[in-house]
Amino acid sequence: MQAKPETQTTGRFVDWFPYLPWLTLGVMLLSLIAAAFLERTLISTNVTVDPDAPTELQPIQLKKEPFGALRIDVAASLPSNQWVTYEIQVKDKDGKILASGIKQAWAESGTWAEEGESGTWAEDDLLGGLDVRTNQAEPVTIALDVLEYSDTAGRELDTAVPFQITVKNGVVDDRYLWAGVFGTFAIAFITLFSVSSTGKMVMNKSNRDSDVTGRGTMGGSDRLLRVVVKVKSDEHSPRGLNVRLTMNDENGEQIYTKTYPVDVSLSKNEGRVTGGNSTLTKFFILEARGSYGFHVEVTPDLSIDRTRILIRENARTLYPVEVTTIKTADVH
Amino acid sequence: MFTKLFAAAALAIAGITLYSGFTQQGAMVLRQENQDQYWARYDTAPSGRYRGGVWVASPDRSAYGSFRGGGPGAGK
Repeated sequence: MQAKPETQTTGRFVDWFPYLPWLTLGVMLLSLIAAAFLERTLISTNVTVDPDAPTELQPIQLKKEPFGALRIDVAASLPSNQWVTYEIQVKDKDGKILASGIKQAWAESGTWAEEGESGTWAEDDLLGGLDVRTNQAEPVTIALDVLEYSDTAGRELDTAVPFQITVKNGVVDDRYLWAGVFGTFAIAFITLFSVSSTGKMVMNKSNRDSDVTGRGTMGGSDRLLRVVVKVKSDEHSPRGLNVRLTMNDENGEQIYTKTYPVDVSLSKNEGRVTGGNSTLTKFFILEARGSYGFHVEVTPDLSIDRTRILIRENARTLYPVEVTTIKTADVH
Repeated sequence: MFTKLFAAAALAIAGITLYSGFTQQGAMVLRQENQDQYWARYDTAPSGRYRGGVWVASPDRSAYGSFRGGGPGAGK
């Protein structure tokens, strides 16, 4: 048996699918920007509405649109401690109500005192909105009606209520788009992290010592092996360790050995080191499929609590990586 | 394998939300009896429904004496 390790950087095993959700996220963000260019403001005005006397805006022409809808946004202006129930109405050319929506708006404020502290608070909920789509072209009139107007004590008020009304056409509902942005963003992240767990686990050995040994059937010229060594060290852990990885063929003969320096990520509690973790990830192709033995030895070994080796076959990568190919010249 | 499924899921989410947003699936559709897709903005509730293509105001529309405002004292 003669081993010829050969290391080169290759993009052969790159999985491009994790990049697709990020591209999708980009499209979602672009469509949010594009949506803003589709809308046109038709009316933007301030009106005052007397209770039970609807105020009408100028008629507008409505027609079936491929994108967006007619959006009516209303903001009531209320002094503190008043409530108003108002109705947004869409009327046809004969003045009959085609659609309407009710909003219960309020503005309240007061003082609070608790455990010797005190202050003021003010809250309100004044905005209302109706999105309307139609399947036929027709002129419509938007009207605003005040159904009930009172103060917090329940006394009815008979004065006019000021409103700010904005009517836009071609408005895209960005709540769906934002849902899409967050959805694709979450998936994009998950996909990114799922790449390292691609493939079939062919070895998962752990040992409460500074070395671990395992043997398994693996290999093949198209099968990328992701070899991960995880080392747990105690509170006396140095900042760096050396991990020696050795491979043996089916006859127990050594075909590969190399020592890799790894950085230890120290966990601390109140400034004192409580332990350390280090990870080594290496990629291999064992051209001839067969039984292979792996041996890991970590030095200096004094502070090592646990050593673990995990090997996945048919692994994929996110970007081009260094792959060591081991050809075993068969002498049988 | 999993990455393909995730990518397909991302495309599906994008497709559905882009379609729903741009065609305004949450809007009130004039003269359409089925308004199941309606998604209220700022808690603005429809105050009626379509019967045979005609808007009929809900009977409780004028019964708004029960309304109380919000604020920290509400709901107690």
